[in-house]
Amino acid sequence: MTQAAQPTTPTMPGAAMALVMHPLDDVATTLRALPAGEMVAIQGVAGQHDGVWLRDAIGLCHKFALRDIAKGAIVRKYGEAIGHATQDIQAGEHVHTHNLKSSRAT
Amino acid sequence: MTEPTFLGFARARGAAGVRNHLLVLSIAGLTGPAARRVAQALPGSRLVCMPYGGGLIGADQELHMRALAGLGRNANVGAVLLIGSDLPKIASLSQAIGASGKPVESVCLDDCGHDILTLSDRAIRVGAKLHRDLSRQRRLPVPLAQLFVGLECGRSDPSSGMAANPLIGKLTDMLREHGASAVFGETLEWLGAEHLLARRAATPAVGHALVQAVLRREQLATRQGVDLLGNNPGPTNIAAGLSTIEEKSLGAITKSGSGPINGLLQYGEQPAAPGLYAMDAPAYAPESLSGFVAAGAQMLLFSTGVGNSYVSTLAPTVKLSANPVAAQRLCEQLDFDASAVFRGEHSIDAAARELLERIVDIASGTLTWGEVLGEGDEVVSRIGEAL
Repeated sequence: MTQAAQPTTPTMPGAAMALVMHPLDDVATTLRALPAGEMVAIQGVAGQHDGVWLRDAIGLCHKFALRDIAKGAIVRKYGEAIGHATQDIQAGEHVHTHNLKSSRAT
Repeated sequence: MTEPTFLGFARARGAAGVRNHLLVLSIAGLTGPAARRVAQALPGSRLVCMPYGGGLIGADQELHMRALAGLGRNANVGAVLLIGSDLPKIASLSQAIGASGKPVESVCLDDCGHDILTLSDRAIRVGAKLHRDLSRQRRLPVPLAQLFVGLECGRSDPSSGMAANPLIGKLTDMLREHGASAVFGETLEWLGAEHLLARRAATPAVGHALVQAVLRREQLATRQGVDLLGNNPGPTNIAAGLSTIEEKSLGAITKSGSGPINGLLQYGEQPAAPGLYAMDAPAYAPESLSGFVAAGAQMLLFSTGVGNSYVSTLAPTVKLSANPVAAQRLCEQLDFDASAVFRGEHSIDAAARELLERIVDIASGTLTWGEVLGEGDEVVSRIGEAL
């Protein structure tokens, strides 16, 4: 079994507001709804990540970009491709159906 | 260390049941309304009605008969009252279910002078006797190895794939270590993650079959011009934060744990040996769960993100969520709160040990919320047009 398919949910300090499932990931998932303009503490399977400045308000369990993602680039979560960016995405932006599209069943 | 056990109902052949249901099984759309009256007259019985049954052909007919026989043979069913309209079909099913050694009684419209009131009356009398006889049976300690669980997720959100499903996966690994069996399905929700499943296939042939099964579903969508966005992930998944089928699949397949996948089953097909199996089946929970129950699963583990009330009527369905809001809001519908795992306050290993204890407790007779609330049904898939 690969690391990617069997993510180990990390034990994190109470301060973490978002979770990254794999070191290769481009996105983090929120553990609670977060307002725009906040510096977010992020916990990853491989330890603490740098904080990310949120450009959008992000709902519970929604994703934001950990780094800038170019239009057309593969977007990764669980260390695997979850689709591609349909527009340039900046770090801290909400990543969802408006800027991320499946690369399958097309 | 002593072998782990649960308190189950021993059967003449095969695994023990975790419940001892009288199944009132209407195998024809014609007899559904009468079967509902019969089940009402036999409180505590479990009713399953097929809304169709005539004019089925080919693979659709095979699936139909396989699934009905499988529901009847499920170890949670102590006795079966078959209600139907046509003698050959009811005789065939009676034989297929009776081979398991459990009591099966049939009441057929053709034998009742085509009089539905006669049928209802006979069915209630026969069913009453079956039900009373069932109540004489007592639970006995049974090795955990006899347990066969179905793994499902529904109305998922990202917490499902990140915490609830990995928790189920951990439990699956623990159950497999004890010799128990498991099955997962929802073929479309392997899309984008099939390479990870194929790597775990016990043989290259199984790996090939897994990949082909998901490609077939993908082509089914593309040929019809279906955009999966809005279908799977559906509107509820999307609102909850799932963006693509790949994201959903990568989270969904973690339910199956980390062990080898021993085979790919058809819908409702019973595995020949203990193991971990994939079932090529629709992703919609009511159809998917009945496929597992027909395959012999006595218990179902069902993760949800925002909440999903649906359960099997024959197999106790353990609902869990890692979504902190849902876990609080739906506390009389969720059997296990996994939100502490999502928040990182509880290790997945510790949660899996607690969940295993809960599973053994429910297998031994404690009711799930779904059983208490009566949210159960069985829905058998269709795959073709009828004549």
